[in-house]
Amino acid sequence: MRSLLKTVVLTFLLLLASSLAVFAAIRLSGGDVTAARLPASATAADRQLFRHQMGLDQPILKQYATYLGKLFKGDLGNSLTNSAKISTLAVEKIKNSLILGATSMLLVFGIGIPLGMIAALKRNSWFDTGITSASVAGMAVPNFWLALIAIYFFSTRLGWLPSAGQGGIKYLVLPAFVLSAEGIALTVRMTRSAMLDNLNQDFVRTLRAAGLSERRIYFKHVLRNSLLPIISLAGLRVGQIVGYALVVETIFGWPGVGQSLVNAVLRRDYPVVQFFSLLLVLVVTLGNLAASIGYTLANPKLRK
Amino acid sequence: MTDEPLLDIRDLSIGLRGDGVGYDIVRNVSMSLYPKEILAIVGESGCGKSLTALSVLALHASPPLHITSGSIMYDGRDLTKVSASQMRAVRGAEIAMVFQDPMSALDPMFTAGTLLTSAVQAHHKVRYDVAKSRALEALADAGIEDPRRRFGEYPFQLSGGVSQRVMIALALINDPKVIIADEPTTALDVTVQAQILDRLKELRAERGMSIILITHNLGVVASVADRMVVMYTGEVVESGMVEEVLATPQHPYTKGLLGAVPRLNSDAATLVPIMGRVPQPNELPPGCSLPIVAAESSMSAGPIARILRYMVTP
Repeated sequence: MRSLLKTVVLTFLLLLASSLAVFAAIRLSGGDVTAARLPASATAADRQLFRHQMGLDQPILKQYATYLGKLFKGDLGNSLTNSAKISTLAVEKIKNSLILGATSMLLVFGIGIPLGMIAALKRNSWFDTGITSASVAGMAVPNFWLALIAIYFFSTRLGWLPSAGQGGIKYLVLPAFVLSAEGIALTVRMTRSAMLDNLNQDFVRTLRAAGLSERRIYFKHVLRNSLLPIISLAGLRVGQIVGYALVVETIFGWPGVGQSLVNAVLRRDYPVVQFFSLLLVLVVTLGNLAASIGYTLANPKLRK
Repeated sequence: MTDEPLLDIRDLSIGLRGDGVGYDIVRNVSMSLYPKEILAIVGESGCGKSLTALSVLALHASPPLHITSGSIMYDGRDLTKVSASQMRAVRGAEIAMVFQDPMSALDPMFTAGTLLTSAVQAHHKVRYDVAKSRALEALADAGIEDPRRRFGEYPFQLSGGVSQRVMIALALINDPKVIIADEPTTALDVTVQAQILDRLKELRAERGMSIILITHNLGVVASVADRMVVMYTGEVVESGMVEEVLATPQHPYTKGLLGAVPRLNSDAATLVPIMGRVPQPNELPPGCSLPIVAAESSMSAGPIARILRYMVTP
């Protein structure tokens, strides 16, 4: 209970610090906030008026105080680009990103763990060598390149899958696989080495001596022991997917938080950048929190 | 010994086979275990005691280790030739094993109860509550004070002595005819050692089980075992009734082991250690049939010198 309270307070402080960092970074990065909204023919006086209306001519600390005050009241502000309320505009984007992110997490563990287990079970076979080499490639290949190659083959050449946009499940396949590729590769390798490590533990010999079947030893005892390191690093996988989503959503034109954030940065749409960045920080923090709760539940030493 | 042996190991050799290497670690080992007897296998670390015992239940790491010749007869069958599923039916139900380091030999993710009930259900199609009541019985039989509490505890919650009793319960639970205990008391303190050994003796008396006890402690051998086998560099160098072997050891290596035992009733001020270490199989000279050259001389302590001192005359 105490540790939970501590985590909540720490999460809050982290969000506060991140809000300041994001707030400062986007303003220090230069660029003209009026360019996106006002026509190129606008005069310097027009631009100054716009800045004044948006409160952007105030001292930066005062701006930050105003922003925080509104945030605590639940007012996320409006987009500078089209004046839409961020709270309305964000709902659809968050939903889309959740679909993509959750699918990718599912692929990371749903494909990574079974493949790693088979590789460990059939170690030094051609299957193991194939899987292990593919996972090295999966970790080495940058996802923006993988995205382009995937689009080239599966959309342009074969015409099996759409290259961009959103619709049915067909539109989800390529971005989800590209987004999860590195996570799958890491999970395969971790699962394989954890399984092999645990197969050599003394307790496996004890279970064999008691007459338990190899299948039961492998799928119940060795697997359960091997899941611990995978769960403990699941928080990192969340962070990875959130980070990569910026690139992958943009390439595949997936209308989610990542794509919106990239666009907002390009337009210097300060309020939108601030909200979505803070949202990503929150997701990564919650992902790590979920992973450490999962680890505590899965480990009898910590559970008791 | 008028009975037929229950377990009969004949001319067993176990070899290491792999990339360009090939030599036998255990060579031509023979020993018999008779009903209701406690047989001790003694020798230093690296003499092939544990490997011989593990091979009975095909628990040696294979590959790279393989049984290269010989037989292990049990109940009319050669255990070196049975299928994997037949071997699984023998493990725990006919011949059970107790290992030396109880803390690492129990799966840390499951309670003692889960391990025990899994062992029951591996051999018998019974409901969980039946398996559970057998598990509680086995815990009590292994000398555990509060079986219900221990049933729900994880290995990290158990002391070394209690862990070893859980291991013994795991070995007892399917009522095997033979228990192989591989240095069951090495990791435990002396009082717990004595309790565990007493429990093994009682179990032999109560259930008529036969026990193979692997140890390097001659005191344990003298107080517990009926017969003993002395192993050195993967071979049996001496065997016989415990009193006879301890009173009149024939082989220089046995004499060496006895010389290294501290005695309260002796005037000797210092112990006589066996110098050096057991030569590894790949350090043995080809042929392995050197006669004993000099037993009591002040030879150097290298492995070859030890072979010269302790090797059997063929």
